[in-house]
Amino acid sequence: MSTPPDTALQPRQRTVAIILPLVSAGLLLVFWQAVVNGTRIPEAILPGPLVVIAELLASLPQLLAEARVTVLDSLIAFAVATMVGVALATCFTFSATLRDAVHPNLVIVQLIPKIAFAPLFVVWLGVDAPSRVAFATFLSFFPVALSTATGLAATDINALQLCRSLGASRWQTFAAVRVPFALGHFFAGLKIATTLVFIGVVVGEFISSNAGLGHYVILASASGATAKIFAGLIALSLCGLALYGTVAGAERLLLRWWWE
Amino acid sequence: MKMMRGIALPLAFFAAVMVAWQYGAGWAHIPPQLLPPPSAVLRTIADMHPLLLQHTLPTALGFVASFALASVLGFVLGAALTASWQLRQAIYPHIVLFQLTPKIAVAPLFIIWLGVGLLSTVTLAVFLSFFPVLIGTVSGLTGTDPSSLRLCRSLTATPWQTFRYVRLPYALPHIFDGLKIAATMSITGLILGEFVAAQAGLGYVVLFASSLGETRLLLAAVAFLCLMGLALYGLVAGLQRLAMSVLHEQSLPL
Repeated sequence: MSTPPDTALQPRQRTVAIILPLVSAGLLLVFWQAVVNGTRIPEAILPGPLVVIAELLASLPQLLAEARVTVLDSLIAFAVATMVGVALATCFTFSATLRDAVHPNLVIVQLIPKIAFAPLFVVWLGVDAPSRVAFATFLSFFPVALSTATGLAATDINALQLCRSLGASRWQTFAAVRVPFALGHFFAGLKIATTLVFIGVVVGEFISSNAGLGHYVILASASGATAKIFAGLIALSLCGLALYGTVAGAERLLLRWWWE
Repeated sequence: MKMMRGIALPLAFFAAVMVAWQYGAGWAHIPPQLLPPPSAVLRTIADMHPLLLQHTLPTALGFVASFALASVLGFVLGAALTASWQLRQAIYPHIVLFQLTPKIAVAPLFIIWLGVGLLSTVTLAVFLSFFPVLIGTVSGLTGTDPSSLRLCRSLTATPWQTFRYVRLPYALPHIFDGLKIAATMSITGLILGEFVAAQAGLGYVVLFASSLGETRLLLAAVAFLCLMGLALYGLVAGLQRLAMSVLHEQSLPL
């Protein structure tokens, strides 16, 4: 449900589709600056875009240092969640009993507001990086496991019959047929996980930490430095988009390579 | 037989986890302050239910307010975006991009703007849950089967009739997908809001209990939140069935 199916754009329409969002973003920034200039809203409530950009440039070294902490924690959580999620989904394809017993429970856990567990990880693992990494892993593991399981179960039935008549072993069928069919679902789960790891790490940094972009934002809000909040949010969004972009790029590369 | 298996196996697994938790924690010498057994959590719920219910009220009210606002706003703005191709091209890419950022981090901004309390927690919840409804509405309303639309045109249906009898029924599953995500997002937003900016609500109880090391109370409040989340999801799923049956029964007044 990420893009509306506006199928088959004409070349001219495609140019318009690139220019229009840029124009609207530019208009919004100009409008924002005009409002701030015209109404004398205090800078502590709403700093203008120019002030935010100046703040972003001035705090760049500190932002990069904080981003390093947040990104590193997020990447570890992302890697662990991916491995555990894929391992569990793989087990599901080899044991129907396991799948029938565990999968419905995963679906239900997916529906509960898991963010409520964040303080529990602090009680268990303290206020340092391990608790945030564990919480972010906990948040992002479920979409990976569920999507991969869906993908592995969605293999074309004809392809499976072909494998059987060719006398392929279960493992050969898995590697040569199920995995390629599952890649699309797997990457859909990974993309959801990219957003969730950052949410997990940042929420962890909100409630307990002394470093990272979440801590930077919370500290700025405590001192009423709103321009710093915006700068921190921009840095955080860029980190999130970069991870998403990397995963989306890896998906394109892998799919092209596989199907060739 | 297959039905039975589909219900019995997950329940058996859930029961096995509970039994392992109840007896495994003591057997492995995990201190009850870290992981109290389920029986202790149930006892805490029984003992502390006045406190828990008292804090359920602000969270539940916040949910009703934020979910209602996010649904209406998301649907109306989504429907408005489908009215014009240019408008959609100008705004929709930003919304999709925005959906990919960890939006929850804006929570401190709402504290600065709206102070500590129900207003800022509800606003955060609306902010988080409004986007999935909007995206669901846009992708549903723009995804109508083209041949049905051609049929409407050749039958000279008015734009309203096309919307009411063709576009909307087609879009409903997408809209409800968005609403289901919104139900979870809105309770997530409330909990985070209560973590960072509230003195009441179940999220506040969770954080307060964790600062005291009261893991039993923490888990009791988390259990309340989980039940609430599941109940709300069930409510939305039920509404979906209702809306589908109403709209589809009356969809073609021949």
